[in-house]
Amino acid sequence: MIDNHKISDDCREISSKESPEIAVSEPYLKSLEKKVRDLETLIEVSSIISSTLDFTKLVAIFMEKAKTVMNAEACSLLLYNRETKKLEFEYAVSMERDTSGLLKKTISLNLGEGIAGWVAENLETVIVADASCDDRFFKGVDKIMDFCTTSLVAVPLVGRSGLIGVAEILNPRDRKSFCEYDADLFHALCRQISSAFENAKFYSESLQMEKVRQELEIASVLQKSFLPDSSVFKRGGLSVSAINIPADKVSGDIYDFVEPTEGKVGIFIGDVSGKGISAAMYMAKIISDFRYKARLMEAPDLVVDRLNSGLLNGPMGMFLTAVYLIADTKTGELKIVSAGHPPCLLISGGQVRVLEGHGGPPLGILRYDYSYDEETLYPGDRLILLTDGVFDAKNKAGVRLGFDNIIAFVGTLKEDGPILNKLVDYINNFSSGAEQVDDITLVELCRDV
Amino acid sequence: MEIELGNYKGTSVIVLSGEIDMYTSPKLREKLLHLVKKEATPVIVDLSKVTYIDSSGIATFVESFKRMKSYEGKLQLVSIPDRVMNIFNFSKLDKVFEMYGSVEDALGE
Repeated sequence: MIDNHKISDDCREISSKESPEIAVSEPYLKSLEKKVRDLETLIEVSSIISSTLDFTKLVAIFMEKAKTVMNAEACSLLLYNRETKKLEFEYAVSMERDTSGLLKKTISLNLGEGIAGWVAENLETVIVADASCDDRFFKGVDKIMDFCTTSLVAVPLVGRSGLIGVAEILNPRDRKSFCEYDADLFHALCRQISSAFENAKFYSESLQMEKVRQELEIASVLQKSFLPDSSVFKRGGLSVSAINIPADKVSGDIYDFVEPTEGKVGIFIGDVSGKGISAAMYMAKIISDFRYKARLMEAPDLVVDRLNSGLLNGPMGMFLTAVYLIADTKTGELKIVSAGHPPCLLISGGQVRVLEGHGGPPLGILRYDYSYDEETLYPGDRLILLTDGVFDAKNKAGVRLGFDNIIAFVGTLKEDGPILNKLVDYINNFSSGAEQVDDITLVELCRDV
Repeated sequence: MEIELGNYKGTSVIVLSGEIDMYTSPKLREKLLHLVKKEATPVIVDLSKVTYIDSSGIATFVESFKRMKSYEGKLQLVSIPDRVMNIFNFSKLDKVFEMYGSVEDALGE
């Protein structure tokens, strides 16, 4: 509110009660007229700020309005950057010249630095009658703007989440210096704009988030297109099925089925380190590298060797744990290469065997000669390939499921049918109510009875 | 995850505690790469108080390991608790990193 008792000499109102007639002096009338205009401006500003959610537009309209109503030579708005903990120029106009770009590039103020920094630190409005006599005044801005600040009012902008910034109005055109009435008026204007700035920022961030969400949706669809068209694959006496459940929209897990030669089925499962977009993009590169190499070479160890060589210069230590196996569709013979990946589970005659093998390190870390282990899948046997998201699943208490519990559960499944869905149900029951922390991928290879 | 930077007889020792995952590993990466930039060797990481490490955490070590190769630096992991060692063994990372029972073992004392 504007406090009538705070009007200084420069803005003094003169009233007269001496005559029974209502005799009003001209200065008093002028002062009243000014107050009416100021109130009108406050109402106008109020309607302006509710008319747009465009932050940049809002700042420009408001500051121009403030400069006009305060009849000032210059105005500026500094926003508080929470990351750098500094005040940065968002808007600055002096003598009708826009200097925002210049100031943005060259000056930022620490809390406590300059008048604006002091206001931001103390969250108090300041009226400076004579800038040259104020020790807090920072001359650097005047120098760049080729301007001479004489008097100013600086107001902290504070929203629900704390400090937003500092608005300043400089050099009154019609007086020597600003008075308390000016400070109150500017403060009233700024109070209205603070919440509008916050709303506009929130709206802008919401738009950005929506954009990111849409991009993620597209990335998710694109990534799914890298996986085999069907999650079920049947060749000769072998059938393969797979399930991939990303923790986020996109996944760093991979699986693929290929036919390197007639009568052979190649099955690939992998897990890129990390999660999210970076892992998904790396996964896209790996799957295309793998398909190319798997077509050129029949030996699974050679495919993995070449894949490893191509990933040695991966960014930020990213690597891939993987299993690549080739199965003979007639004999059930398996050649399995493991690169730092969780072991496969072989279910044969009601027994579960963990295929530790003598695999090598994950791909993309160091040069290594990978070799394969041989196994045979007999009629009725099944092989489960999985990523660590399966046994790293957490329950509500934060306890991880664990690899041993997976083995024990698989051992209880006596039925002949596919077991992937039962495994997924088991994981979901365990982690019910808890957030999925990692991508989950399971591949099942069965040999017909 | 908490990170303590220490020094044992002139060798940089990083003592970690808690979970090293995709949310905490950037902090570890910053500390490790700071030492790598100075071409420190060996860099010893004490994992005795680490409860879990995921692939993002391992990738952080892999990145430093690869960068240290350029100046023949050594990244040594020491005092690895069983639960973390299981993860390393599962991933065959014993073929990648130098692992020791203690800082003294790493320094051959």
